Amino acid sequence: MDQTLARLQNVFRQVFDDDELVISPTTSAADVDAWDSINHVNLVLAVEREFGVRLSTSGIAGLKNVGELAKMLDAQTANRAKV
Amino acid sequence: MQTIPAIEQFKSLKASDKIAQGLAVLRQALRRGDIDPDGLDRVGRLLVRHKEDLPKQPAPLRVLIVGQCTTTWLVPALTAVAWGRGRACDVRDGGYDNVIQDLAAQQTPPDVVIVLPWHQRLLGGGSSGGDRPTQQRVDDELPLLRQAWESVRKMGSRLVQIGYDWENFGAAGHHLSAREGGSVCTVRKVNETIRSALPEGAFFVDLEQISGEIGRRAFYDPRGYHWTKQPFSRLGVARLCDHLWAAIRALTTGPKKVLVLDLDNTLWGGVVGELGPLGVALGDNPEGESFRAFQKQIRGLAARGIVLAACSKNNPQDAREVFEKNTDMVLKLTDFAAFEASWDAKPIAIERIAKTLRLGLDSFVFFDDNPAEREHVLQMLPDVEVVPVPTDPADYVRALHAGLWFEAAAVTEADKARVEQYRQENERRQAEEAAGSVEAYLETLQMVADVRDLDESDMERAVQLLGKTNQFNLTTRRHTAEAVRKMLSRKGAFGITLRLADKFGDAGLVSLVLAVPDPEAGPSTLRLDTWLMSCRVIARTTEEFLMNHVVKKAAALGYKRVIGDFFPTAKNELVRNFYDRMGYKVESEESDGSRRYTVNVADYSVHPSPIQYKS
Repeated sequence: MDQTLARLQNVFRQVFDDDELVISPTTSAADVDAWDSINHVNLVLAVEREFGVRLSTSGIAGLKNVGELAKMLDAQTANRAKV
Repeated sequence: MQTIPAIEQFKSLKASDKIAQGLAVLRQALRRGDIDPDGLDRVGRLLVRHKEDLPKQPAPLRVLIVGQCTTTWLVPALTAVAWGRGRACDVRDGGYDNVIQDLAAQQTPPDVVIVLPWHQRLLGGGSSGGDRPTQQRVDDELPLLRQAWESVRKMGSRLVQIGYDWENFGAAGHHLSAREGGSVCTVRKVNETIRSALPEGAFFVDLEQISGEIGRRAFYDPRGYHWTKQPFSRLGVARLCDHLWAAIRALTTGPKKVLVLDLDNTLWGGVVGELGPLGVALGDNPEGESFRAFQKQIRGLAARGIVLAACSKNNPQDAREVFEKNTDMVLKLTDFAAFEASWDAKPIAIERIAKTLRLGLDSFVFFDDNPAEREHVLQMLPDVEVVPVPTDPADYVRALHAGLWFEAAAVTEADKARVEQYRQENERRQAEEAAGSVEAYLETLQMVADVRDLDESDMERAVQLLGKTNQFNLTTRRHTAEAVRKMLSRKGAFGITLRLADKFGDAGLVSLVLAVPDPEAGPSTLRLDTWLMSCRVIARTTEEFLMNHVVKKAAALGYKRVIGDFFPTAKNELVRNFYDRMGYKVESEESDGSRRYTVNVADYSVHPSPIQYKS
């Protein structure tokens, strides 16, 4: 989880072009100024590329914060590891 | 997450207040084709954020995108594509499906307006009913578009109209979809209608064709439409923006005019100087057919009015001989308006072509299989477009078309006549002049030489070079392996091989020197029996570097004097003045043009060369 969060922080910094951005499990769109609907999609595409996964529309719709995103990624990459 | 070197460089240059250099770094990365579709979005957003730092001369091109879908992603991507082509653009977009209102709200007219329709009304149900016949659906789309075109006309802006497309074949299925009533049929009908209704001077970008070339599964991302009403994938955005830029260029500066072509391994397989005019790959085999297919495409461009120029490091007569003698050649000498076969650096040769044709370098596209030549042109001639050429000749046709260099709004008779005019102009051309410094370029190649004494492990390659090297060959002695072994067995004799590598790759064993003591010519005298080099590494100071090495070695062996011969042949004009360049003096000259040269080891001055010894 911590490792996932660190990777996510890197992705967030690139997408929002802010090398000082610090995220935590409770970070949500309300906390980041540039986090609008377009950057939300930019973020999803960048996360997909970083983790080599495809996130589902339904999965993303229910996400409340970064912690839930990390949890979802961990679950998806764990499933892949089993296969 | 993947870092993009050009972006990192930009950031550090920006941090030290060198933002113009940072922007130039981004431009070079885009020109080289180093930026993938994901990167294009990131580079583009960076450029949009630094819009104010882009060059103000000429004034940035003002582009407005209005669409029936969301167009946010097109803004950074188009900005980046244009910047890669050397044009600063101020790209803005309107809101989702707000075409007419956005156009009406423009205070200052944009230079170019791009209209992107989407098919939600064309193929959908909506308030006008889902059971409309095809023609009704088509007719229902036109009023909105006509109104948009009228707004654009009133503003005096140029118009780029994108066509409609289908992402999937719909309920009718593959087979029926293209028939009356099917989605594919409806889209094609509306596009046809738009094409003929478009105001004169507008450019139609056929989205159905473009997505088909890539493949709709890759061009569209269904999630994009549901998430933000943008149907395109990253790849789709990038490719569409390539086409939008080609359209804008066609409407503003016009398409590229000149295609500059290398010859060896570009128009035919192999090196004519080694294989002869009939030995190059052009025949009825997969390799030859690939090169001929490429030539056929080029001939098609020439017929359309694109001016062809040859630019090859070759003896002019060798280069021409292929055209004159090889009947498999598709292109003829008369297809070329300029023909540069020389040993000058390519940027210099290309500048000379531009002068001859009296055309700006910004109308030039350069196609060369050699990555080092491409990089040289990229660095020295920022206005010339350089095609990233794949290694397989079967892929050349695609590579040539991928850049959309020659997309034109219309083909005129004047275009077709141009080729002939330029060719005639070329024939009037007077003496050539070569100028310009290439030291800076050579430094950037990071060349490393691996110099070895000739032994059995290299004997086979050495004898092969002795047998086939014609141009850079001072004595053209075709020694056998046995003769070389005998020569080297003499006391004080030596053979040297040189392998040259640079940051682009390894050229392999490219030069050979055989040296023997010559007591008959004088005491402590070393004679250079053979000096030859592959033309692949010409004009890179390889020979200067090797001469420094040879003279140093002669001194170490106790020689006081080095002598060398030049024997003229039909092919080795290139090295007529080799020893003069190396600082030798003519000792004697024969009636057939043969010359003997000499230099005292103590008087030899070392030649500068950026080549390093391999450590």
